[in-house]
Amino acid sequence: MVDLVQNTIDGLMIGSSYGLLALGFTLIFGVMRRLNLSYGPSVMIGGYLGTVVYLQFGAGPLTVAAAVVVGAAVAGIYVERLCFAPMKAGAAIASMVSSFAIWMQLEQAAILVLPRHTYAFPPLATGAPIELGPFAIRVDHLVMLGSALGLAAAVQLVLYRTRFGLALRAIIGNPVAAHLVGVDVRMVMPLAFAGASAIGGVAGFLVLAVDQQITPMFGMWATLKGLIAMMIGGLGSVPGAVLGGLLLGVIEAQSQWYFGPQIRDLVAYFVLFAFLAIRPRGLVGSMSEASTQKA
Amino acid sequence: MDDYMIGVLSNIGVVSFVALSAYLLLLTGEISFGQQAFFAIGAYAAGIATALWGWPLALALAWGAVSGGGAAVLVGIPTLRLHGLYFSIATLAFAEMVRILFELFRYQVEIDGELVGPNGAEGFRGIRYIFDHNIDAVQFLALIYSLLVAVLLGFVLLERSQTGVAFRMIGEDATLAGLQGISVARHKVLAAGLAGALAGVGGGLYAHLTTYVEPRIFDVMLGVHSLAYGLIGGLGTAFGPLLGVLIDIGLLESIRPLAGYRMIIFGGIVAVLLIVRPRGLLDEKLVHRIGRLFVRSWPAKKDGRGKPA
Repeated sequence: MVDLVQNTIDGLMIGSSYGLLALGFTLIFGVMRRLNLSYGPSVMIGGYLGTVVYLQFGAGPLTVAAAVVVGAAVAGIYVERLCFAPMKAGAAIASMVSSFAIWMQLEQAAILVLPRHTYAFPPLATGAPIELGPFAIRVDHLVMLGSALGLAAAVQLVLYRTRFGLALRAIIGNPVAAHLVGVDVRMVMPLAFAGASAIGGVAGFLVLAVDQQITPMFGMWATLKGLIAMMIGGLGSVPGAVLGGLLLGVIEAQSQWYFGPQIRDLVAYFVLFAFLAIRPRGLVGSMSEASTQKA
Repeated sequence: MDDYMIGVLSNIGVVSFVALSAYLLLLTGEISFGQQAFFAIGAYAAGIATALWGWPLALALAWGAVSGGGAAVLVGIPTLRLHGLYFSIATLAFAEMVRILFELFRYQVEIDGELVGPNGAEGFRGIRYIFDHNIDAVQFLALIYSLLVAVLLGFVLLERSQTGVAFRMIGEDATLAGLQGISVARHKVLAAGLAGALAGVGGGLYAHLTTYVEPRIFDVMLGVHSLAYGLIGGLGTAFGPLLGVLIDIGLLESIRPLAGYRMIIFGGIVAVLLIVRPRGLLDEKLVHRIGRLFVRSWPAKKDGRGKPA
C-alpha cells in the first residue's frame, strides 16, 4: 500500500513534465493541423545548448534553463520556416515527413557539437527528500511539479484572457475565418510555434535536470512521451494535456515498480492503443473536425 | 560486383518491401507509423520456420507473409474507424508493443548442440538457411529482386483494377467513395492486410539476408523512414517508394566521406525537395504526363479536337 501511494506520488511528479511536453505538442497541432515530429528534437537542441552553457561557463540552473528554452524556441522557428511555412495548404503529409528529415538533421547537429553519448546536466535542486510519514518527496520533483502546473495555468490564462490567446484560438477553430476577421495568421503561426517549442523547452529542462544527463536519444523520447500524453489526454485541450501527462506518469511509475522497464513501456503503449480504439477523444478532448484531418 | 555493392543492393531491395507497404496504405489516405511491426513479425515468423522447424525457404517466406498480413488485419479491424492522426498514432502504439513483445519473446530449441531461436532483447541468431543450402549472395540478391519485380507487377495490375481505383478514391475522400457504393471498411482492411503481407515478405527476406534479427531494429525510425520513402520518391506510382529507397540508401552511401555531415545534408535536401514537390518526385501529375506520352494519339483522334502537331 505504501509502495502504491509512493509510486503514485512519484508518477504525478514525473507526469507533470509529460503534461508540459503534451501541451506544447497540442498547441502546435491545434494551430498547424499538422504533426511536428521535430518537436522533441527541437527540445533536445535546447537541452544541448543548455549543456554547452553549463560545461563551458559553469552556469547556474536558471541560466541553463534560459538557454534550453531559447534553444528550443529557435530550433522550433527553424522547423516552422523550413517544414511548415512554405508548404501548400494540402500538403500536410509532406510537412510531417519534412519535419522528420529535419529531426535527423537536428540529431546529427547535436552529435557534432557534443560527440560523446552522454553528458552531465546540472541538477535542479539538491537537498534531502521531504519526509511525510512513510512517504518521501524529492525536492527536485516538487520543483518540477510546481513549475509544470504553474506554466500550464499561465498558458491557459494566455489562451483565454489575452488578445493573442484569442487570435490563437480563432486560428485553432478555423484559420480561414480567423484570417477573414483580421487575425494576422502569418504572424501568429511562427509565434505560436516558438511559444509551443519554448514550453517543450521548459519541460525538457525539468526532465534533464532531474535525470542529470542528456543523450541524443532525448529528442525521440520527448516526441514519443509528448505524443502519448497528448493523445491520452485528448487533442486540443490544455487540461487534457496535463491530465494525460499525469496519468501517463502514474501508469509508468506503477508498472515500472511492479514489472520493470520493459513492461512499463508495453503498458504505456497498450493504454494509448486502448484509448485510441475505445475512446479516441481521450480523457477530455473534443474530437473536432480539425483533429480528424490528415496528420 | 563486389560484396559491398551486393550488400547495398540487397538492402535496397529488402527495405523497398516496407516502403511499398507504407505506400499501399498512403494510397488509401492513411499514414502508418507502424509497418515495421509486420516487417518484424515476418522476419521472426520466417526465421523460426527455417531455423527451428526446418521448413524450405519459399514456404517460410509465404508463412512470413501470412503472419504479417494476418496481424495487419487483426490490427486493421479495431483501428478501422480511426482516421488521420488517430490512426497514425494507433499504428505507432501497436508497432512499439510488438517490438517490446519481441524483447520478451523467448523460444529456443537445441539444434546440433546449440541453442537457436529468439532470445528476447538479445535477438534471434543463427538463421543460417542460405549458408546451409549454399545459396550465395548473388543468388539471394536475384531472389530478392525477382520477388520485388513480382510485387511491382502486382502493383501495376492493382492500379489498373477496380480495387486499385477504389483505394485511391478512398484516399481522396472516404465519405464520397462510400456514397458511390464502395465498401470503405472492406477495402481498408484489405489494404491493411496486403500491406502487412508485403512487409512480412520483406521481413522474411531480411532475416535470411542478415541471418540475425533483434527487436531494436524494428523501432519507430524504420517505420517513419518507410513512410518517407513514398513521399520522397513520389505517390503517383509504386516506383516512387523504390526511388525513395534508392535515393536514401544510395545517397547516404555515396556521401559516406562526409560522414559527420551526412544527415545534415540529406535532411536538408529532403526538406527542400518536399517544398518543391510535396507529393514526391514521381507524383500523380508527372506519372499521368508520362503515361500520356505513350497513348498520346488516340484521345485526340477520338473526339476530333486534337491540336495539330
